[in-house]
Amino acid sequence: MTASFPLRIGIDIGGTFTDFVVYDPSTQQIETFKILSTPSNPALAVLEGLNQIFSDRSDRQATIVHGSTVATNALLEYKGAQTALVSTTGFKDILQIGRQNRPSLYDLKVSLPEPLVPADMRFEVDERVLHTGEVLQALDSAQFQTLINEIKASGAEAVAICLLFSFLYPEHEQMIAKSLREAGYFVSVSSEILPEFREYERCSTTVVNAYVSPVLGKYLTYLEDKLEPGMRLSVMQSNGGAIQPAEARQAGVRCILSGPAGGVVGCEYIGRSINRDAALRLIGFDMGGTSTDVSLIDGARQITTEAVVSGHPIHLPMLDIHTIGAGGGSIARVDPGGALRVGPESTGADPGPACYGKGDIPTITDANVVLGRLAPELFLGGKMQLDAQRSWHAVEKIAIELDMETTQVALGIIQVANAHMERALRVISVERGWDPRVFSLLSFGGAGGLHAADLARGLGIPRVLVPPVASTLSAYGMLVADVIKDYSQTVMLPGGTTFQQLSFLLAELAHRGTAEVLAEGVADEDVQLEHSLDMRYRGQSYELNIPFTPTFLATFHQQHQATYGYAKPEAKIEIVNLRLRAIGKNTPPPMHGQPLGNPNPQQAYLDTRDVIFHTDATPTPFYQAESLHPGNRLQGPAVVVRSDTTILLSPSDQAWMDGLENIIIEVGA
Amino acid sequence: MSYDPIRLEIFKHLFASIAEEMGTVLRKSSYSPNIKERRDYSCAVFDAQAQMIAQAAHIPVHLGSMPLSVQAAIQQFKNDLQPGDAVILNDPFRGGTHLPDITIVSPVFSSDYSPVLLGFVASRAHHADVGGMTPGSMPVGRELFQEGLIIPPVKLVHAGTTDQAILELILANVRTPEERLGDLLAQLAANQRGTERLLDMVKRYGREEIHTSMQALLAYTERMTRNLITSLPDGTFTFSDCLDDDGITGQPVPICVAITVQGDHATVDFSGSAPQQQGNINAVYAITLSAVYYVFRCLLGLDVPNNSGCLAPVEMIAPEGTVVNALPPAAVAGGNVETSQRIVDVLLGALAQACPELIPAASQGTMNNITIGGPLLSGRGSFTYYETLAGGTGATQDQDGASAVHSHMTNTLNTPVEALEYTYPLRVLRYEVRRGSGGLGRKRGGDGLRRDLQVLVNCQATLLTERRSHQPYGLNGGEPGQRGLNSLSRGEETILLKGKGTVEMQPGDIISIQTPGGGGYGSIKS
Repeated sequence: MTASFPLRIGIDIGGTFTDFVVYDPSTQQIETFKILSTPSNPALAVLEGLNQIFSDRSDRQATIVHGSTVATNALLEYKGAQTALVSTTGFKDILQIGRQNRPSLYDLKVSLPEPLVPADMRFEVDERVLHTGEVLQALDSAQFQTLINEIKASGAEAVAICLLFSFLYPEHEQMIAKSLREAGYFVSVSSEILPEFREYERCSTTVVNAYVSPVLGKYLTYLEDKLEPGMRLSVMQSNGGAIQPAEARQAGVRCILSGPAGGVVGCEYIGRSINRDAALRLIGFDMGGTSTDVSLIDGARQITTEAVVSGHPIHLPMLDIHTIGAGGGSIARVDPGGALRVGPESTGADPGPACYGKGDIPTITDANVVLGRLAPELFLGGKMQLDAQRSWHAVEKIAIELDMETTQVALGIIQVANAHMERALRVISVERGWDPRVFSLLSFGGAGGLHAADLARGLGIPRVLVPPVASTLSAYGMLVADVIKDYSQTVMLPGGTTFQQLSFLLAELAHRGTAEVLAEGVADEDVQLEHSLDMRYRGQSYELNIPFTPTFLATFHQQHQATYGYAKPEAKIEIVNLRLRAIGKNTPPPMHGQPLGNPNPQQAYLDTRDVIFHTDATPTPFYQAESLHPGNRLQGPAVVVRSDTTILLSPSDQAWMDGLENIIIEVGA
Repeated sequence: MSYDPIRLEIFKHLFASIAEEMGTVLRKSSYSPNIKERRDYSCAVFDAQAQMIAQAAHIPVHLGSMPLSVQAAIQQFKNDLQPGDAVILNDPFRGGTHLPDITIVSPVFSSDYSPVLLGFVASRAHHADVGGMTPGSMPVGRELFQEGLIIPPVKLVHAGTTDQAILELILANVRTPEERLGDLLAQLAANQRGTERLLDMVKRYGREEIHTSMQALLAYTERMTRNLITSLPDGTFTFSDCLDDDGITGQPVPICVAITVQGDHATVDFSGSAPQQQGNINAVYAITLSAVYYVFRCLLGLDVPNNSGCLAPVEMIAPEGTVVNALPPAAVAGGNVETSQRIVDVLLGALAQACPELIPAASQGTMNNITIGGPLLSGRGSFTYYETLAGGTGATQDQDGASAVHSHMTNTLNTPVEALEYTYPLRVLRYEVRRGSGGLGRKRGGDGLRRDLQVLVNCQATLLTERRSHQPYGLNGGEPGQRGLNSLSRGEETILLKGKGTVEMQPGDIISIQTPGGGGYGSIKS
């Protein structure tokens, strides 16, 4: 063992398990394992896993990227820092008023998300900047002492500052920030976090940052203190790139969707390893116990700048992940109008689906058991025995209510759940302007393998991929993540602005981006910069993000045509924001394919059981995934059982195992 | 009718996702801040008989009224509709509500050799200007002709070809033609997407199945509504409340309702409401129907499909020539935005006697419409700014009202201060919660808000606001919410403005709108 190649470790902290993926560059071996999570202090599971990894190693060097749920949970559970807000006089309630709409149209009891800063912790300063960047009223620092005293009296631990038009003239925010930092506060400044127009969304993003960063910071400090000097830690951001703890402490808001982001990056890695040459077009489908995350990759990961997390807008670039409440534990029931409903309520881990042996609530998993699609004695590699009898009784209750056959109801539960998930897949594809028929579906949640081929059929998706690392894919994503830093600046320039002028303006962001990526320890030659513009026709209020090239105007018209069905080449254009993404490329571990062998999967054959596809039971061979060899071919109907998921092939589907042990389903009619 | 409960649920998702997707296309491709930022639009799917099958949850006031737009298109063109047509309309007396709401209805035909009508898709958007006597087309007028361009149901698109003459006629009659063009194109794009999606469904499931599932979904919502009505006690429940005035005579305008529940059926009778008025607060039949729809839909629970089945067990009586069913040529601009809110207030007031545990005290009961128009600062071209302002919602038996949020018949977003100042010669000086304006009670009403706008050019501001003299009521001993307040400041001088009217403004003038609070619930003493 030489010290010149430190290990690379990806860690994904989930609600139940903390997953580890370890890559040793000297042997080019990848190893994965899971240990139980420690929700009260997630660092404990991380440290225990690291101990396991290094127990028999003399050198203790590693590059660690981890997905942390600390910031997410602080936000979701309202357990962040006590936060104060400083606003321009007359505007301290921007955070509360939001966009003045209510979340649920037909609810007579209007419930709004609780603002992260209560009314008595919002403070105002006299100042005003205009949309031209001119200062209408200068900020008088004589106000600061009173401000600081009030903030002290409020008991705040962190302060967010969001003044009108500060992205054009950040000096006022900076003055206030300086004095508050000197007073010892963690300060989140809107012109630093999100220098873009639309005050509510900027304010919300800035406040979330003030709210979660101190909590994330405390956790990272604890973890770093326990790490050995040779271990270099970084944190996954919602944009799919990693940053150092020092950075994450200042910008915790960037790490809100840390874990799910790892899943998308992992999808991209798997997709590229399967076919390096073809255009990468994947829809990621992560169906777990309580929810399903879907995402899309068309050559590149899709980014949104309009995310709303738990009612709080966060307008920083994030991977576009759409989540719905449908998972293996989603509950089936009949509503008073006589419709069969599935989810969004879930049994959770306790009592779990009826077949887990504790409760009698029918779920999607129970429907799969009734239909013979899940082998009760092989669940989780045989570690957990499912009670098929309980599943049957649970589903039968609904059957009696509806006066239908139990198996028909079970099929119905699956169809309703699939309709719900299909709608989610449409949101991420069709509604965003993508045609799903040219994509492959990559299924990586524990519950997804039973549904993926049927969903693909419904959307005309020709191919489903189930990677061998399905249950640790997020941790793989951490392992291979690049360093990514996003920058933006609202400029509101006319479309006639020249390429040279824009290049000049972007150079400033590029300079900063390059320096900050190099500071993450990235080598010069691994730095990449991606420039882009947010553009719109003047008068519109939604922007399209267009790569910055000399033909950016033409590209904008084309993109508008493609996305919305029309373009107006004669209309005036506005360049709203400049964007820069600075990337420090990571070289992902190479994957070594094995040669394809005999197509006959006989060695993996378990037995033949009755599975219900449409009406009648169909004798269906079951296979053990771990015994399949590259090149083996399967003809549907078939069920492939793996320790972390079960894969269903309908009679018209075919599948084969590729050299990397991915199971690839060619979806039939 | 019995229908497979499984397919019922599947098709519910499918139709709803068509309407949602149409909405996404409309929002993202439209031009005016009114549609994109404020989201003042709705999209829906209909069967061949103009029954609404699914509506994306956008703006409640559009709900019950959109089927009437489709009916108007059918009535006008009977058998003369063909694939690729799109019918445009805004005439409040022929399928519309008020003139700024332009609806485009597209029939959807099967793509067979001999096309069969499958249904319709429709989109409705509030356009920031459709001509008329003041910018924004929400004037305090006395007849419809003053309120803007009236578009009866006409074909804007014939078998895929846009009628340029009609388009030019429309654009020649509005103040911001470029913006209108963009918005109309966006509506057509939304309908196009809806048509494609519906045809995809037919390809996948067959025409018969689409038809059957549409009828089953209607029957389902009807069943849910009948269950709900059955759960209410039989009897007649009455309530009345007033609009402040019609903007011309200054007299209060009463609205009365008697809801009679009998088994699984309800009659909603507005007899006794005031005759139609000279001013613009007249509601057409479609608006009143929308308000009734909204109230019953709210009682149904959150995830019942939005379709015409909801009104099947409800009979509505709205005498012609009254403020709740005005006849031509009444001015109607405010009926849609203001009277609709008061109709909801009286409906809820009546239902509070039947099911007090479900019904909140009065919410702000107005949309606080403000329109400002004039020349741009550069002197080239003109602008029209239209906005509605949130207020307090009423408290319920177990929950305080919410503050500074839109209630009942609207849910439009605000225009961000920074977006507004980039676009218009206006400056926002204050945008805050109006603390203490909610009614006291065991549960407190929500607070209204305050928005102060300074104008930078000579311009006209038109206000169309309510609850400036009659307060939003409290329930069960709770106090009413505070009334709203409009004022104009010029230099040191501040004058109160009437609830409805147009004022000429000079550079530097500040118009301040304080919106009403919601009513409280329950007596504090007990």
